[in-house]
Amino acid sequence: MAFIPSRRKKHRGSRSGEVKLQLTSMMDMFTILLVFLLKTYSTHGQLINPSQDLTLPISEIQHPPEVGLDVTVSNDWILVNGRPVERIESVETLDGFVIPKLQTSLSAYAQHGQRLEEQYGTPFSGKVTIQGDRNLPYRTLIKILATCGQSDFPNMRLVVYRKEG
Amino acid sequence: MAFKPSKRAKHGFELEHTNITPMMNLMVVLIPLLLTSAEFVKLGVVELNLPPAAVGPESEALAQMPIESFQKLDLAVTITNQGFFISSAVAVLSGDKTGEPTIPLKNGEYDFSALSEKLFEIKNKAKDRFADIEQIILMAELDVDYQTVISTMDAARMYKNGNQSILLFPDVSLSAGIF
Repeated sequence: MAFIPSRRKKHRGSRSGEVKLQLTSMMDMFTILLVFLLKTYSTHGQLINPSQDLTLPISEIQHPPEVGLDVTVSNDWILVNGRPVERIESVETLDGFVIPKLQTSLSAYAQHGQRLEEQYGTPFSGKVTIQGDRNLPYRTLIKILATCGQSDFPNMRLVVYRKEG
Repeated sequence: MAFKPSKRAKHGFELEHTNITPMMNLMVVLIPLLLTSAEFVKLGVVELNLPPAAVGPESEALAQMPIESFQKLDLAVTITNQGFFISSAVAVLSGDKTGEPTIPLKNGEYDFSALSEKLFEIKNKAKDRFADIEQIILMAELDVDYQTVISTMDAARMYKNGNQSILLFPDVSLSAGIF
């Protein structure tokens, strides 16, 4: 009596034709990538989002970024927390140091911060991070800094690119 | 009766592969996770101190200190289109000729290393004699760009001599300058 040939055993002989996926080289690649990414990993993530249309100046300072109210000075506008406040041209022709519209906006944030401190105990640090283009003239820069100082934001942080090495 | 074929003879030469599929799964999860949190551009911040007169709460604390008992240096660097002028409460450092900047432009560019060296010299001489030995006031002409201001702060903060770097004047104040 002949047995029915086993279906499982049928494949045994034809094993040489089977293609095995070579994952070893891919693993090597992944390991290198993993090590590289672990090296560039930052524990606090991105605290400051650099704006697209401006080039920050380069500095040798090693001080890490901090959280604060964001004042961005782009080529056309001054933005507070991403909202345009005042045109650059009108700042350049302005007499005196305090930019009225910027001061109004900053004071509103400062009052809000101080109210939060009173009601909920969240400390108001008066920190402001300033992002400016590397070609920003001093006449505009000093007016913005003076306005920040006058609007209860005395702790200014100038955002720069860190030079490595 | 036929013998059962030996299993050892058949499988002996075949290499057993490690099961790396779970490892691959791990990698596929880990790499996107790290990619999203990687920072490729390193950002930093320069801390800035306003002159105390313009600051609200800090000026009160300063007013309580007996300032009269200290001698003040009031070191200042002025950036002009001719170069750097270094001055203090008592004198202005002149260059080779009177009226020339302390550190003139070198090949049309600002000479930051010379400035740093000069400030290092001043720091060594003025050490222990003044109360405000960490402070420096920065002034600039109206058209000086932001990068130059930042680079001047760098030069005033650190003096790099070979491998060692010496802290000079980390407390930078900006002044309105020449208007």
